Amino acid sequence: MLDRKLLRDLWSLRGQVMTIAMLIGAGVAVLVMSVSSFLALRGAQQAFYAESHFAEISAEVKRAPRPLLARIAELPGIATVEGRVSGDVRVDWPGAEVPVAGRILSLPGSGDQPALNRLRLLAGHLPEPTRQNEAVMHAAFAEAWRVRPGDGIALILNGRREAFRIVGIAHSPEFVFTSRQGSPLPDDRGFVVLWANEEGVARAFDMQGAFNEVLLTLAPGASEAAVTAELDRLLLPWGGRGAYGRRDQPSHRFLEDELAEQRILAVTVPVVFFGIAAFLLNIVLGRMVEAQREQIAALKALGYPAFPIAAHYAKFVAVICLLGSLLGVTAGAWMGAGMLNNYRPFFRFPEMPYLLPVWLPFLAAATSFAVALLGVYAALRRILQLPTAEALRPARPVAFGGRSLGFLGSRLGAARKIPLRGLLGRPLRTFFTVFGIAMALPMVVLGLFWWDAMDSMVDLQFDRIERGDAFVALTDPRHARAVRELARLPGVLAAEGQRIVPVRLRAAQQSRLLALTGLPSNAELRVPRDAAFRPVPIPQDGIALSRRLAETLGVREGDIVQVEMLEGARHEQDLPVAALVEDVIGFTALVEIGALNRLMREDDLVSHIALRIDPLEAGALWQYLAERPRVAATNVKAVWLRAFDEVIAGLVLTSAVTLTGFGIIIAVGVVYNSARVALQERGWEMASLRVLGFTRQEVGRILLAELAVAVFLAVPIGLFLAQWILGLILGARDNESFDVPAVISSGTFAAAALVVLGAAFASAVLVRRRIDRLDLVAALKARD
Amino acid sequence: MIMAANAAPLAGASRGTGAPPVFVARGLTKSYGSGDATVYALRDLDLEIQQGEFVVLLGPSGSGKSTLLNILGGLDVPSAGRAAWRDHELTGADEAALTAYRRDHVGFVFQFYNLIPSLTARENVELVAEIARNPMPPEEALALVGLSHRLDHFPAQLSGGEQQRVAVARAIVKRPDALLCDEPTGALDVETGKLVLSAIARANREVGATTIIITHNAAIAGMADRVLRMGGGRIVSIERNPHRLAPEDLVW
Repeated sequence: MLDRKLLRDLWSLRGQVMTIAMLIGAGVAVLVMSVSSFLALRGAQQAFYAESHFAEISAEVKRAPRPLLARIAELPGIATVEGRVSGDVRVDWPGAEVPVAGRILSLPGSGDQPALNRLRLLAGHLPEPTRQNEAVMHAAFAEAWRVRPGDGIALILNGRREAFRIVGIAHSPEFVFTSRQGSPLPDDRGFVVLWANEEGVARAFDMQGAFNEVLLTLAPGASEAAVTAELDRLLLPWGGRGAYGRRDQPSHRFLEDELAEQRILAVTVPVVFFGIAAFLLNIVLGRMVEAQREQIAALKALGYPAFPIAAHYAKFVAVICLLGSLLGVTAGAWMGAGMLNNYRPFFRFPEMPYLLPVWLPFLAAATSFAVALLGVYAALRRILQLPTAEALRPARPVAFGGRSLGFLGSRLGAARKIPLRGLLGRPLRTFFTVFGIAMALPMVVLGLFWWDAMDSMVDLQFDRIERGDAFVALTDPRHARAVRELARLPGVLAAEGQRIVPVRLRAAQQSRLLALTGLPSNAELRVPRDAAFRPVPIPQDGIALSRRLAETLGVREGDIVQVEMLEGARHEQDLPVAALVEDVIGFTALVEIGALNRLMREDDLVSHIALRIDPLEAGALWQYLAERPRVAATNVKAVWLRAFDEVIAGLVLTSAVTLTGFGIIIAVGVVYNSARVALQERGWEMASLRVLGFTRQEVGRILLAELAVAVFLAVPIGLFLAQWILGLILGARDNESFDVPAVISSGTFAAAALVVLGAAFASAVLVRRRIDRLDLVAALKARD
Repeated sequence: MIMAANAAPLAGASRGTGAPPVFVARGLTKSYGSGDATVYALRDLDLEIQQGEFVVLLGPSGSGKSTLLNILGGLDVPSAGRAAWRDHELTGADEAALTAYRRDHVGFVFQFYNLIPSLTARENVELVAEIARNPMPPEEALALVGLSHRLDHFPAQLSGGEQQRVAVARAIVKRPDALLCDEPTGALDVETGKLVLSAIARANREVGATTIIITHNAAIAGMADRVLRMGGGRIVSIERNPHRLAPEDLVW
């Protein structure tokens, strides 16, 4: 009997039931999406790392003799050691508009997999032991260019051109995320990783009987820090560049950063949706109980115990949660699978199946139900405690305190006082309504701000800081004459040398491995900027650090950092932090190039050259550079920016559409439900006003003015919240790969405000139509 | 047919001023449903009411008195026949015209007061004064119903009778041409009811509003110029009181 009433209640409140179910659905969807894609990503990572024996510590060294590996293996705490030879190569790839860069790594040469960082072959096989010109290619490049086993590839190894035949296509745990030079974006068409037998690779890089990379795994219980320190000590005489754990392994770090962001998303966003849904259920169910108090009392008078009556209303909530969960799980699974597909170009795993764990829908539904019950607790308690006799009488009208409205009282007409007293008479409800609507804005802003952030990142990094068109990496440092040589080439408008040295920076307890860049003091192709984007002069004595790096190291301007050169004679030097600069990608550390050369006890050397070019002659220039033996790689800004646009534009659009949709769900949910409840509570009053001669417009205005005030209060509060929440989220991001500036353009603010105002207006129109249908004659009779 | 009661000369007779009636109904019919299931709330009813007249509509539930009042008040439209207030046709008028008619000419008093709980007595009256063409000051309207001392009380702080007097003040503040009251004492005890009726009578006298009261309390009939008894959707009898009783002299 009560269940039939339940169905009727649900049907008569279907608009409210649906809008609240949508809110719960949105929360459940985000929960399901982020947890399931997190688990899929984490699962793929763990399976692949385990299967391929992913190294826990890696170290690069200039050149160490093979027998040193045996001594390393004897260090306490080490399980497995693998030495290999690696080197940067250039690829002569027909069809590529710009030079393709690559990295080649040695395989043991026995025809077997290496002990660590094993390959997962997708096609073909490992090189035959005797074949020095066979290579395995990483799947990213192979997919981008549709390379198959049997295809050929021409590499420039250490200045010498060699032809290789691709015999296999593979995934590797150290290149789950593949990019060149720590770029936060994959560059599958411009960067290739190859594996070939050790003999050939060693010969090409003059490493016979030696290795320049060591990988190892730890014995159970071993300390990473202790092993790293020991390893550094052993490698130091051979030009060790500092051992690092997975945390500093670029692919791993990028993956972990993404996982951490999913975790934040999984917790924060559903809380917002569930919270708002709980508040709305509170007012909707509270209103329902109020309207049905005489029915409830009658049921109790008939001998119905309180509990089944409360359970009846709990079922009402349960049905909404179930409906929302069904919507949310469906949408969440779909979005999760979509999210995983978004990840595929970034993270290359042999398998990354999308799985919806059986428990996840239940967890999501149970969480939403628990929060929703919390929201309606007060209403349910009222039912249980309602004394039968009192309930049978109609409710006393709400008492309004505060006769005067202060100075407003004398200035406002009576019609304006109705909404005002409504707002002030129930401050808690007003607060939650305003807050609920306000929360729609951060959603929309979070969706839209990525365009601003990306614009501002590109503007800062590629218009203001890096002002050159291309960046040439030399195979090894050359005299600064090389810069003048390049400057004379046709199509080169300007050339500037840079010296980049791998260093370890230490300050107090913190240390970081990074590239220290030496810039000429009059550099024009790379202009460091301060927080106000003003050019920062390159310090003559001292080091300039990026603000984010300084925060990570815990240093300020004037503090001393210890700089350990990880190249050449490995000098150490204490340098004062002379300036803080802005950067977006990676961590910047700058010194004057002459000072760097002196620190290195070197001549006037450069390792990289920034170019400004004439676009009309670009093609010929890239061709010329591709053939130069001393050029290791040429990075072209325009190509990078195009790749950036291609990869990011789709992601940003997806997030903008999704989050804007969420914002609309919130705004509609709160405004529609508040308006419906207001009409339910005050429909009789409004019908009375119509009888007294008020027009539909006037009555609509009186009823909806309260909400309009709430919406107009909510917009500035929401925009403020958006800025604050964005700061929190980006602050909690702790992502060293790249910085997302908390920049919100006025256009984004305006768009978010318009979206929310539009959603509120549309909801109001829906309710307004009900005002037009008010039954005037009923107003003359008993209320409710 | 008991149509004698509906004959125009009879119904039209009033104080004998000879002035044209303000309310005119001809062949007024209101029905719901169709075919055999048709239910008639009003059947072919004729009626004339004079300017300033005080009319009491008596009758049991379902007699059609509320339907008649709703049509005269511009809240409902008849199925057939016509109703007019002066030169305002109420039958063919659209929503906006009926709203304007109620706003400019009619004051309503409801059985359950229908005050806005978030407004004080003064503000409830002011609310209607704000949309009226030629209102009296709200305080004056409240003085007419004897509530000068309760201006700033909210409905929840007033007794039922006081609330209804606020409702009367709200109805008369616009100086209405017609004052329509639907069971104004239905929810009140005798003494309180008399206070409310006095307020209505005073408004009728001082504002000059043509007043129609619906009630099933026959005792109220004594204060009317004319008493129309209704039954089955028709006017079954008309009585004229030679002397109107003061509300305080009513006995019930």
